[in-house]
Amino acid sequence: MCEEKYKIRLSGYIDDELSTDERRDFEAHLTGCTECRKELDSFRKLKEVTGAMKYADIPEQVWEGYWADIYRRLERGLGWVFISIGVIVILSFGCFHLLNDFFLNPDEPVLLKIGIGFGIIGVIILFVSLIRERLFASKRDRYDEVER
Amino acid sequence: MTVETCDDSALMALIKEGSQIAMKQLVERYKKRAYHLALGMVGNKDEAFDISQEAFIRVYKSAGRFDPAQRFFPWFYSIIANLCSDCHKRRKKWDSRQIDIDENDFLMITEVNPENIAVKKEMARGLRKAIMKLDFSDREIIMLKHFRNLSYEEISALLKIPKGTVMSRLYYARHKLAGILNEYV
Repeated sequence: MCEEKYKIRLSGYIDDELSTDERRDFEAHLTGCTECRKELDSFRKLKEVTGAMKYADIPEQVWEGYWADIYRRLERGLGWVFISIGVIVILSFGCFHLLNDFFLNPDEPVLLKIGIGFGIIGVIILFVSLIRERLFASKRDRYDEVER
Repeated sequence: MTVETCDDSALMALIKEGSQIAMKQLVERYKKRAYHLALGMVGNKDEAFDISQEAFIRVYKSAGRFDPAQRFFPWFYSIIANLCSDCHKRRKKWDSRQIDIDENDFLMITEVNPENIAVKKEMARGLRKAIMKLDFSDREIIMLKHFRNLSYEEISALLKIPKGTVMSRLYYARHKLAGILNEYV
């Protein structure tokens, strides 16, 4: 069984990252170790295969809109926060008015009023966030403007 | 001195003051690199695009916390890597449907010899599948060495690990990758 330090040095050897002494020591080890020679072959093949490949780029037209997308996201973030708060307040106010009789009725239990109140506000918050999500999720295909 | 000639730390100082021009310059400088780094880690073009943009947004929002004494790119890289890691955790396990079906969307063959192209296409397909089967940290180190061609020193600075650890991580990642690749090729 080959020592761990030599196995690890396989990577350094193949990447030419060993010091002169380490390289000499490793090469001496290699002459007597079938396991390392076999793995060295395997790593060289891997390098050959990956060397023949690169990450595909995307069309230049898509890159042209890249900054504009980021700018919009930076600018609209705060705007959406205020709009969301505004809509939640307005809808809550509206619901409170509709259920005026219920909330102002002293005979109705306070706990029930609190529960229903929180429930309504929760539903309104979920509704607003769902609308926002749907609006942002229906992004146009960023490849729309790319000529095919 | 113009924004185009500013180094990264100078740009970050301007961004901290709210300069959109400096932010734009930084985006133009690093957008493709950010995208390719993310693509190497998540294996999906759309996710990589979104992650790269989100990374810049985080840079803008945390410009105040950037230490001008440190280099920009390792800090930026850590933001990208964290976003990719979060993406990976959300998926829990890598579903092959999340990976681009067309290998040209992820990895492209640079081979021009038509005699070799069929063999290389098969190899590329197998390699893509094998890479996506690796753990996130193994995939990361393979991507940095094999596809970004960074030196051990550069990887060490980026990942904030000793050179010896880079060597051992690379060994184990390659060992696993070679093993998985044998299943496909």
